Formats: sequence, structure tokens, C-alpha cells
Amino acid sequence: MTVIPEATLSVLPRADGSARYAHAGYTVTASVNGPIEAQRRDEHAFEAHVDVVVRPAAGTGGTRERHLESIIESSLTQLILVKNFPRQLIQIVLQIETTPDNDYVNTKLVQASLNFPIVPSLLQAAVLALISAAVPMRATATASVVAVVSQEGTKRLVVDPSPRDLEQAQSVHVLAFTSHDELLLAESEGDFTVKEWDGVYEAALKICCRPTSTKAGIDVMLDDSEDAAGSDMRQFLRSTVEAKVAADLYWK
Amino acid sequence: MAAPSLSFSRPVFAKLSPHPYLLRTLAPQPPSDAAASRTNGRAPQEARPVHIHTSSLSHAHGSALVRTGDTTVICGVRGEVLPVANIPQYRPQATQQQQDDGDERADERGGLGRGELKDYDLLVPNIELATGCAPQFLPGVPPTTLAQTLSTRVYSLLHSCRVVDPKSLRIWYTPPTEVGNNMDTEEQQRQQEEADDGDDGPQLVAYWVLYIDLLFVSLDGNPFDAAWAAVMAALRDTKLPAVRWDPDRQAAVLQNNSQPTTTTATAAAAVPGQGKNSIKTTPLPVAGLPVACTAAVFPEKKHGGESMAASAAATVGNRHWILLDPDRSEETLCGETITMVVDCSSGGGGGETRIKSIEKQGGVVLGRELIRGFAGVAEKRWKEVRDAMQ
Repeated sequence: MTVIPEATLSVLPRADGSARYAHAGYTVTASVNGPIEAQRRDEHAFEAHVDVVVRPAAGTGGTRERHLESIIESSLTQLILVKNFPRQLIQIVLQIETTPDNDYVNTKLVQASLNFPIVPSLLQAAVLALISAAVPMRATATASVVAVVSQEGTKRLVVDPSPRDLEQAQSVHVLAFTSHDELLLAESEGDFTVKEWDGVYEAALKICCRPTSTKAGIDVMLDDSEDAAGSDMRQFLRSTVEAKVAADLYWK
Repeated sequence: MAAPSLSFSRPVFAKLSPHPYLLRTLAPQPPSDAAASRTNGRAPQEARPVHIHTSSLSHAHGSALVRTGDTTVICGVRGEVLPVANIPQYRPQATQQQQDDGDERADERGGLGRGELKDYDLLVPNIELATGCAPQFLPGVPPTTLAQTLSTRVYSLLHSCRVVDPKSLRIWYTPPTEVGNNMDTEEQQRQQEEADDGDDGPQLVAYWVLYIDLLFVSLDGNPFDAAWAAVMAALRDTKLPAVRWDPDRQAAVLQNNSQPTTTTATAAAAVPGQGKNSIKTTPLPVAGLPVACTAAVFPEKKHGGESMAASAAATVGNRHWILLDPDRSEETLCGETITMVVDCSSGGGGGETRIKSIEKQGGVVLGRELIRGFAGVAEKRWKEVRDAMQ
């Protein structure tokens, strides 16, 4: 299980853009094609239609995948400059490759309420693939999943919880932020109060929107020791793209 | 140079350009003294009143009809008996032996108790958006994305809120301790085997599976709130017939006091309305009362995803309104929505509000402060729905 996220850009030769993203036991490959001609029924006179397809690791997609698709689609529509491409289609296919195993629960194809932990991986893979496809975007996005686990009367936040943590978690939260530090997506379930949600928001903000300046190095180090699993998603996104650009421009 | 004046009646204006029409009613121009309201006459934070009618379906174990404005949804709950022998991958749990204290520990951990409901699919919600409930639903097409999304949301919320206790869905069988005096060798042998297995105590032989079916009779926006209210009202109305396990027939039979003839539960359950008085029923315990509250964000600028230049130039004119309980025409104009599920029932209303779910997507307007403030709106809505349920 990877604690540190890993990503590769442009893994598929045929697609306009693609990315593979692995984090916390999930691996997702995303491909982006677009802007391409839209079908008549999907055509929108003023903006591009964003079509998201989520394919599960095994079996065919069901109601759960439709739900994930609608979440991802509504978020990506906010990021992509859809008004630049009227009557066009931007198609994003997200293939889930691996999901973390849990020896303690029955593995069933159809699982209730196991939707959330995969949302950050899906969103992150989609954003990377969109960058790879050079689709104009208003902002990028970073996402993280935080669980509130109660142990011996005290509540503690678990970033990127394992399936076993999720099983025992009181509440699970997925938050995504744009690169302008705006809250793009907030999905929570379980049992919590406004105060707990605030704490989760702080933790997620720290992971997703850490300032990239090196001046705050000391603070960052302190934070890291506090929640060891919390990685800096924005820095990760930037360094991944930087590495790809550097590799592509090596011949110069 | 007198240009012909183009003036439309209100419905024509609304049809031709819905966005400016709603914007104009929400933000009236200075000369007019009309109060800011939505096109449907409601204030931005005003929800439609809820009407709930329960037990209207005679052939379901519990049912409810919920109406908010022109959104009408009917929900029926039916229990079916599922013998454990028919469950693939059935894993007998430690809870069977110590059914009292063991269960509580398991529930505290949040592990096994929920695992049963999930693993054996004891709650099966399904949502159908009937043809003609809204103009966009055509006959003879597969379930729309909306229907699939709604049923996933209801399904996962049912599990995460733990409204139904798996304990109340278990059917137990206590083997008789007294054995007849003419016990033959075969029976003795069986007794021996049972003793070896340690099955002297009550055994878990079957589960009730609750089929929760929702049908939208008409849809005028905000389907999730109505659907969830209907599910809760129907579950609170559910009365499962008292059954006992018949080991010879390997089936559950009704505990019927007045008539000695036993019918299999499944057969009798098909007509729960028939002779309702004679069948003993137990109401299904439902924990808490989570209520969903949805709002949509109406942006001043048309087509939410504005370009960089536009957003920089027009930050002043970038107002937005949070419209509670949006109707269908408002939903088409709003990109960003928030659904918050709250439960204020714990602690007699005086306790802290428990949030069961937040779903916010499709925009960046609702930040931390607005979501925090929305909890208060959801609490108000909770009181309205609670009053409607009683």
C-alpha cells in the first residue's frame, strides 16, 4: 500500500491525455479525449459536455459507479473552461485498477457506503489526465479523505484511512479544494457535529492547500510529525507535472 | 424613432430566458418595490411544507406518501424472510452464542452489527422515477442516472445512519430441550451432534430482508429530501409479523393466535392486509430521525464556469443566492447543490445536532462558513419534518 502518492503522466499512447495515479491502495488510470464532437443529445449550445465514465476493478459498473461519475463530473465541470468549447465533448474514462483489500470483511462486488475513499484517487487521476491532455482549466484540484476514528473515548483523525479504519470510523469525509483554496467538493457520512467537521476541514485544507513556499519549512516539518500520513497534495501535483515537462524537454 | 415595445407576459419570459427571469425576481430593480422572492413566490430560505401520510398501501408492511409542493413520492416497505441457509458466504458470528452482551460490544465497535446488514443485503432500496412524473422521463428507457444516483445515496445513507438495528431483523429458533420419551437412536444421534456443536441455545435461523421501494408519482425538484423523508416515514410505520421457525419445514411460519393453521410467512406476507387484526405484528424499531435538507446555489452569472477574465472583472456583480428546497426549474439553473442530513432527536432536542451526511458538489461558492451556517437551516427543516411525521 502506497502512503506517498505516485503518478505517471501520458501512459496511454492513443488517448489525448492520460495518467495513472496510485495512492493509499487505490490505483486509477484515467484517459481524456477532447474536445471532440458531441453526440446530438449531449450537445450544449454554450458549453462543452463533460462525460465521465468510471469503470470498476471487476465487473460492470452499477449504481455506485453512476454516483461516483456524477460527483466527479460536477466537480470537473467547474474546473474545465467548458465555455471555451461550445457543442463539444470532453470524455474522461477512469479505470479503477486496484482497491485495497480488507481481510476482515466479506468482499462483495456491490458495497454500500464504500464509495468515498476512492473519490480523491479518481479526481486526482482525472485532473492529471486533463493536464496531460492540455485541456484548458480554470484551476486544478486536490482532494483528500479523512476519517474520524474514536479510540478509547478519544477521537482522532486518520488521513487516508485503511479499509479496517473505515469499518470502525465514526465518520468519513472527502474534501476537494481548487488551487485557489476554494472548497470544491465536500462529501461526508457517518455521525459527526459541526465542530468535528471543522477539525476535518482544517486537516484536509492542510493536506490539499499547503502553501508551496519553502519559507514555511519549519511549520511544515512540525505538521508532518503531527499527522504523518498527510502528504502535500498540491506540491505533489506540481512536482509530477514538472518532472514530466523536464523529461519531455530533455532533448533541448 | 419609436421602437415597437417588446413586452412579454410572465410565463413567456420565464420560458424564454429562465435565468434572467429568476434573477430579476430575486434582485428586483430599484424602481419596483417588490420584495425579493423566487419565481415560485417563496423566499430564498423558505422550503415547501411537507405532508406525510402513512399506511396508505394495504399490501406493504409499512408505507408512506410524502408530498412537498408538487414532488410526490410513495414508499413501501416489505419484509421477506431469508433463511440463513440461502445466504451465500454466510458466516455464523460469535454474536449467536452470546446474543446479548456480545452484540452490544460489536455494535459499539461498529463492526459486526453493520456488517450483517451490509454483507447479506438486508436493506434493499430501489427508486423508480415513474414515466410522466416530470417531462424528461420517457417510457421504456433504462433507469436514468438520477434514479441510480438517488438509490445509491439512499442505500449508503441507510447504512451509515444505522436507522435499522440488525437485531430486530434476526429470526431466532430455540430447539426444544424436552425430547419425547420414545426417542429412537437416530434422534439420539442427532441430539448428540447438536450437543457437540454447542447449539443448545437459540440459533439464528433467518433474517428479515426489507425491500424499500420508492416511486416518484410527480417530481418537481428536490427528489432526495422527499425520498429520504418517505423512507424514514415508511420505516417508522413498518410492522413486521411475528413469526416462529418451523424446523420441519425449514421455513418461518406466522405466530397466529386466533387461527391455528400455519401459513408460511412468505405466503402470508403477500397479503398482510388480509385479517390484519388476527396477525400479531411487532413494530420495527427505528433509531433516530435523520432529515435531509437540500439547497441549490443560484449564481448571478449564467453558466457557472466563467473564464478567468470574467471572474476577475465581475467580482462585484458575482452575487449568489442559496435557494432552499429548489423546484425543477430552479434546479436546471443551479449548478452547485448541498444536501445536509441532520438528526436533532438525540438528547430530547436539547442535545447537540448530529450531522449524518453532507454532500456538496458542483461549485465553489459554498465555503466553510456557509456550510456551517447551513447546519442551522437544516435544523429548522428538521423540526418541520418532525412535526409532519407526528
